[in-house]
Amino acid sequence: MGSKTILNVRFHEKIGCLFFGSPGILRRRGCFFDGVSSRWLAQCGYLRTDTAVGILQVNRSQRNVQATAVSPMHPCVRPEQVMTTLRSYATMNTQQPGPMPEYQVDPYRLLEDDLKDVYSYIKTVLRRNTYQEGLYEIATYYFDGNGKALRPMVAILMARAINYHMYKENSALLASQREVAMISEMIHTASLVHDDVIDQSDFRRGKPSVNVMWNHKQVTMAGDFILAIASMMIARLKNNEVTLVLSQVVTDLVQGEFMQLGSKETENERFAHYLTKTYRKTASLMANSVKSVALLAGADEQLSELAYQYGRNIGLGFQLVDDLLDFVSSSAMMGKPTAADLKLGLATAPVLFACEKYPELNPMIMRRFQEPGDVERAFELVHKSKGLEQTQFLAKQHCQEAVRIANMLKDSPFQKGLLVTADYVLNRMK
Amino acid sequence: MSLSKIFCPKFLPKHLLASAKVVTNSGDCIYKPRRHLSSSDVQFAKLAQEKKPDWNRAVSEAEKIVGYPTSFLSLRWLLSDEIANVALHLRKLVGSNHPLLKTAKGLLYNGKNNMQAWGLIVLLISKAAGHSADIPDMEQDKAAGVLHSQRALAEVTEMIRTSHLVHKGLVNLQPPNNVDASGDMMFGNKIALLSGDYLLSNSSIELANLRNQELVELMSSAVRDLTEAEFVGPRDRQNNPLPAKPKAKQVEYKQFIENNLEPLIVSEALGNAQAEWTLRNVLNAGSLLGKSCQGTLKLAGHSEDLQEKGYLFGKHLALAWQACLDREPFQPGSSGSFSLVCAPLMFTLQNKPELYEHIEKGLENVDEVDYDLLRAEVLEGPGLELTKKLQKEHSQAALKVLNELPASDARTALANIIAAVQES
Repeated sequence: MGSKTILNVRFHEKIGCLFFGSPGILRRRGCFFDGVSSRWLAQCGYLRTDTAVGILQVNRSQRNVQATAVSPMHPCVRPEQVMTTLRSYATMNTQQPGPMPEYQVDPYRLLEDDLKDVYSYIKTVLRRNTYQEGLYEIATYYFDGNGKALRPMVAILMARAINYHMYKENSALLASQREVAMISEMIHTASLVHDDVIDQSDFRRGKPSVNVMWNHKQVTMAGDFILAIASMMIARLKNNEVTLVLSQVVTDLVQGEFMQLGSKETENERFAHYLTKTYRKTASLMANSVKSVALLAGADEQLSELAYQYGRNIGLGFQLVDDLLDFVSSSAMMGKPTAADLKLGLATAPVLFACEKYPELNPMIMRRFQEPGDVERAFELVHKSKGLEQTQFLAKQHCQEAVRIANMLKDSPFQKGLLVTADYVLNRMK
Repeated sequence: MSLSKIFCPKFLPKHLLASAKVVTNSGDCIYKPRRHLSSSDVQFAKLAQEKKPDWNRAVSEAEKIVGYPTSFLSLRWLLSDEIANVALHLRKLVGSNHPLLKTAKGLLYNGKNNMQAWGLIVLLISKAAGHSADIPDMEQDKAAGVLHSQRALAEVTEMIRTSHLVHKGLVNLQPPNNVDASGDMMFGNKIALLSGDYLLSNSSIELANLRNQELVELMSSAVRDLTEAEFVGPRDRQNNPLPAKPKAKQVEYKQFIENNLEPLIVSEALGNAQAEWTLRNVLNAGSLLGKSCQGTLKLAGHSEDLQEKGYLFGKHLALAWQACLDREPFQPGSSGSFSLVCAPLMFTLQNKPELYEHIEKGLENVDEVDYDLLRAEVLEGPGLELTKKLQKEHSQAALKVLNELPASDARTALANIIAAVQES
């Protein structure tokens, strides 16, 4: 056990270098295992040691609390409903040891007025840009208001926090910043639409995905359409820097998708590959959209870099948790099938970690889990290993880093909202 | 242009290159390759060259005027990891039926419709119009007589067009009729979709680097128009276009709106042969070439008025071009299928609405249509003549704009290209 722990710490220092630029952040936590929240694992009954049983019992009582909180959380949940569940998570977290303190701010409620029209506004813009019902219908399919709207929320939260940081009470949300929030959701959705064609998925957000509903050629065009309109909106902001930053996001998304086609031979390469891919596919959009709202506020290089780093860490944390949830969450909860990544041949963090203990996963990764039984076996090995805890640990590092960065901003409800968001990203259930 | 580079012969086996005739249902016309690149193709290419000598000469002379083919610049794309990857993946597709290979071939060999010509025209109009005096020397390519930014825009035009063609070349695998047991089609779609996205995202970065937000908005609206084109009128399962049912009362097509950033109104045009054809092809081609020409004049600091004329030039040239391509499948000795929304057929339908029942057979799949029967009908009727007239109108409209520019070698080259289109 002891030697394993040391090994793990070393392994994480390597990742720490890649991720944060300095290994110190991870070393501060000391031993790898103390910070690991066993909630996911306990829930799924994967911990068998005596201490774990204790945690399991604690978690059982929590689960009852959760059950009531979670029951309205159908995949079709609205942001308002997420708010109530979010609060209960925040409360629950205080029962656990850990560095995440409790904040009385609920970002979704805080930004209720800003967020309530995001989807209808996007639909209005799309409506203005085509007279063709067929195109409009596909393009607006995912703007039904059932998404988490996480990207717009983070963008607006950061916008208001930065505005306050710079201009104190005389700060209102700029129209251009609101636009960036919409644009971030549109870019995200365009990429979802294209992902659905690529991956041939059946469900998303609890309803049939676009590729099941319509002609794939038209779906592809609808994705391009959303992107074109987003790009017109970007141009209308009339800010050269912001246009450059947001164009980079689209390129990152595509390059991330390309990276997903290949796999690397050695473990180290593989992890670096995975992390870069995760940045490009998820974190770049969050990082660059919050950077954009900072630039629009007139932030200097240092402040916009701070915003960027917050978004980047939130994004990485978010995706790590997403990869984790793919192993532990139920289909009904996620609104999409689980172990989906394995079925697509993708080795995400939990598998890569599990590989340390079970080298037999290596050939499976190389053949992209294509042989019969691979997916089931890999799924089982991941759960047997510490892969899920380690993934969560890593996600936690990023969320803590995001908190540390957000704490550099002047104190305001919005700045507090940024802290809560980091907590939400880490502890979300879907 | 990047994609045609990656699809260069060394990645494809000979037998694929050797086919002399490329028939696409998804495209708008039958392409006949004119530039031979493999030895087995020489004979055909020679024949083609003898038939239409003006086109190749017009293009190769024009290329000299603006320095070098625009696509040469994009050689750097070849060095990127993503494109190297695509080339590798593409090899896996050889032997499958995925239309991405057809698209790739088309990019190289479709003669008159080739991508290079699009960028070339943008550069020629740039040079023909010149630029305002206050543009610093640093930003000029003095030898070629264009601005570096204009060269970048020409490249963007090619990338957008290529990306659109690649995305158009996907296969519809919508369940439950999906019969792709091998997974080849799915994989081909993945590669086609990502390659198209790659080009599109790179074009958006190139544009952003020009630091001209009006231009970004204009070109993005051209991308939007291209996507809109794929939704006009009835479609078969593979999204191939069919003409709308002809209406008794014909309306004349006009540019329905003043500001070309606005989307086009579709419903009024459907069922009116000329209006529908124009709408389809403005969305599909005229908008991109027009807006690129408009944009390049914007970069040169010309007046709004001249920019607008640039738009008209590009739009009319693209339409003349399309009308010319539409006539090709009806040349003596032609056979096989053709686009159901080509001008000769649409004019014929307007004259003989009872033929529409034959079109309706293709609602599920355009291959079900009796092309020989339709061809015979087209050859009988006034369809070809009307198309020729339409082509002439557009050529002349483009020439009219051109004549307002000062005489120059670039202007002459453009006039030669228009003449080459007109004569065939």
